[in-house]
Amino acid sequence: MAEVHRRAPDRPERWDVVVIGGGNAALVSAMSAHDQGARVLVLERADRTFRGGNSRHTRNIRCVHRSADDYNTGAYPYDELWKDLCGVGTGPSDEDLAELTVTESESVPDWMSAHGALWQKPLAGTLHLGRTNRFFLGGGKALINGYYRELERRGIPVWYEAKVESLEFDGPRCNSLVVDVGGKRVTVTATAVVCASGGFEANLDWLREYWGDAVSNYHIRGPRFNDGLVLRQLLDNGAAVAGEQRGFHSVAVDARSPKFDGGIATRIDSIPFGVVLNKKGERFYDEGEDIWPKRYAIWGRNLAGQPDQIGYCVWDSKVQGLFLPPMYGVYKADSIAGVLDAMGLPTEPGRTTIERFNAGAPADAAGRFDPGGLDGVATAGVVPAKTNWAQRIDTPPYYGITVRPGITFTYMGVKVNAGGRVVLEDGSTMENVFAAGEIMSGNVLSSGYLAGFGMTIGTVWGRISGREAARHALR
Amino acid sequence: MLSDDLFAEAERQLNICNSCRYCAGYCPVWPALELRTQLTVTDVTHLSNLCHDCQDCFTACMYSPPHEFAVNPPQVFASVREETYGSYVWPAEPPAALRGRRGVLAAFLGSAVLVAVLALLMGESSVVDGSHTRSPYELIPHFTLAVIVLIPTIFTLLVMARAAWRYWRDIGGTLAGLTDLAAWTRTFGQAATLRHQTGGQEGCSYPDGEPAGARRRFHHMVAYGFLLTFVSTVSAFILETFLDSAPPYDVVSVPVLSGTIGGVLASVGCVGLLVLKRRADVLQSTESMRRADHALLWALLALMLSGLAVLVLRATPVFGPVLGLHLATVIVAFAIAPYTKFFHWVYRVLSIQYDNRESRRRASA
Repeated sequence: MAEVHRRAPDRPERWDVVVIGGGNAALVSAMSAHDQGARVLVLERADRTFRGGNSRHTRNIRCVHRSADDYNTGAYPYDELWKDLCGVGTGPSDEDLAELTVTESESVPDWMSAHGALWQKPLAGTLHLGRTNRFFLGGGKALINGYYRELERRGIPVWYEAKVESLEFDGPRCNSLVVDVGGKRVTVTATAVVCASGGFEANLDWLREYWGDAVSNYHIRGPRFNDGLVLRQLLDNGAAVAGEQRGFHSVAVDARSPKFDGGIATRIDSIPFGVVLNKKGERFYDEGEDIWPKRYAIWGRNLAGQPDQIGYCVWDSKVQGLFLPPMYGVYKADSIAGVLDAMGLPTEPGRTTIERFNAGAPADAAGRFDPGGLDGVATAGVVPAKTNWAQRIDTPPYYGITVRPGITFTYMGVKVNAGGRVVLEDGSTMENVFAAGEIMSGNVLSSGYLAGFGMTIGTVWGRISGREAARHALR
Repeated sequence: MLSDDLFAEAERQLNICNSCRYCAGYCPVWPALELRTQLTVTDVTHLSNLCHDCQDCFTACMYSPPHEFAVNPPQVFASVREETYGSYVWPAEPPAALRGRRGVLAAFLGSAVLVAVLALLMGESSVVDGSHTRSPYELIPHFTLAVIVLIPTIFTLLVMARAAWRYWRDIGGTLAGLTDLAAWTRTFGQAATLRHQTGGQEGCSYPDGEPAGARRRFHHMVAYGFLLTFVSTVSAFILETFLDSAPPYDVVSVPVLSGTIGGVLASVGCVGLLVLKRRADVLQSTESMRRADHALLWALLALMLSGLAVLVLRATPVFGPVLGLHLATVIVAFAIAPYTKFFHWVYRVLSIQYDNRESRRRASA
């Protein structure tokens, strides 16, 4: 595909709707605004190769559906998704907006198909999401490629390597944007603006304000462009905050991962099958609390609370192969001490911790162990308990991997109303600025995460904000 | 066998793929990879030949270069396939004098001289004075012609059978697998439609990184065009030998129709593939694979165009020389076939067959 616009024009141009961002929420906003007849411009921070923000790394979307179809193995009614959403972390931040998100999700898959999305038949994966989540053929980058293709078909220009330096406000109205496009500074005039530029997880200094030096040990799973510059602009111009400062979606990732952009391949799914020790050689959380799709997203936070933000996951040959194999391989030894040593953890007290765990694990675990669901195979007299899949770690060879927090995206963003308009601290709204996606995810998510729901938020709110921005511009 | 470096690189990349698995819907390579978390050299060889180079995994991959993970399955599979092509034929290489472009040229000249000498010794004067009846057997008698064409053909068929059997055994195939007709039915259907080159429902990303079907269509034209010209040759042989029907054949006859349609189809397909190849990004392939593709396409084009020239010019005085050149091309093409990319379909078809049996076992497990 030829780039629609490599360079911005020399003279300022006026657009009905300017969308800031180049991931799922941004592209959905752009197409939604275009559906209303608006003249739309998309400003993507990355170059063409790395376009798409965090959406590059996604895989599926969670939507309400009333029955099984080609791409979902069963029904997933409104009440169940609502219950699942309330079951993660402390539940939705703003119940009305969360309800709207769930309600709107039902029409999302058809809308996506009509705008260039292709789907994949449900496959046997380790996360068992075939009923609740719909999988993109080829994953999130393929979805994004399809959306960019649709943009090109519609003649919606995309400026790559476009960094929005400031939003120029006149009271509650944003009149123009100052944009650095591949080194050239351009003023872009817009009747309405949709901010869909993601969270601030790649802005380590900003994260440090809330997390201190622990940030040095965090891995950022997406691109380094997610530095929250647009979010900062909105907050500096009076936007009300939604979501918690320390709210984020985070998982356990391989400690050998790169600092940025490691994505899905660095995620570690071995935790429910073994035990996790901290740097002091102690267990610190129930590894078998719930099925992995409902618990994988708390382990980033669990690790963030441990000394040096590191964990040492150990399992044995009985369960080896039951989860996705880590890309960098695993540590392996004939003894527990050997595998702890290989991971760089002093043998004691780690070995003693595992011996005590083994003493508390039921002797008949092997017959009852069921990785397909909650099997109730729990420890007795061990603190903290492991409440499911608590088999003894006693069959060599032993395996291990070191894990650290991997931040997917931050939740703290701008408050919006039901039309996607950015709300100001005094309760009024910005006149022509809308938000979609991670930058406003804090309206829905407080803590904890539900697999595939980030794409739901991005698509539902992209559709709303794009539509409302266009209506504002064309009114 | 694969070099250690190539295997290590394939293993590195496929370990990343195995911890991601987003591409599972594109083609059978990825479900097959999921069954192989401890990769061996033969696993990598099998997966590489199962790959039909649609390149959708590359465009879908968030780790493709310039990302630091540099995941590039089309390229690594192409490199492995090249080693496959080199390692299963026996004798491993043609005589030193016949290698490379110069070798092919020498072989061609040699064959042309052979044909010319035979024509001088055995041909009829009608070919020279223009009174010929447009029958090739006036240039070289039927039996002699059959012998000089059949020798390289049989050589190639034997080499092919041996390579196929060794490959099949290496990837873990059994005798039962070769006689599994249910699986063969699927295999032939998939091979005949190039099913695994369609990227699920998306379409192949070759050559521009955007979904397209041009490469598949041109490939069909080459493959089916080639088969039609084969039908033409075999039907002419049968007519002459068993049905006592001597050439020239009518325009509306099996040999002429199939030869003409096949020759035109295959020529257009070859040109189409060559044009696409100019546009394709070499990042997803290798220079040597590119050269091998070019060599095969140009050889096929020479074969087709010289064959068409014989048909078109069969009523003119140059019939004799043109037929001679075509015969020389046929002899050389068949003789060097094992050392070109021509055999690629043998390994692909066997890997599809192996995969069909494997996925059936998995489905019933």
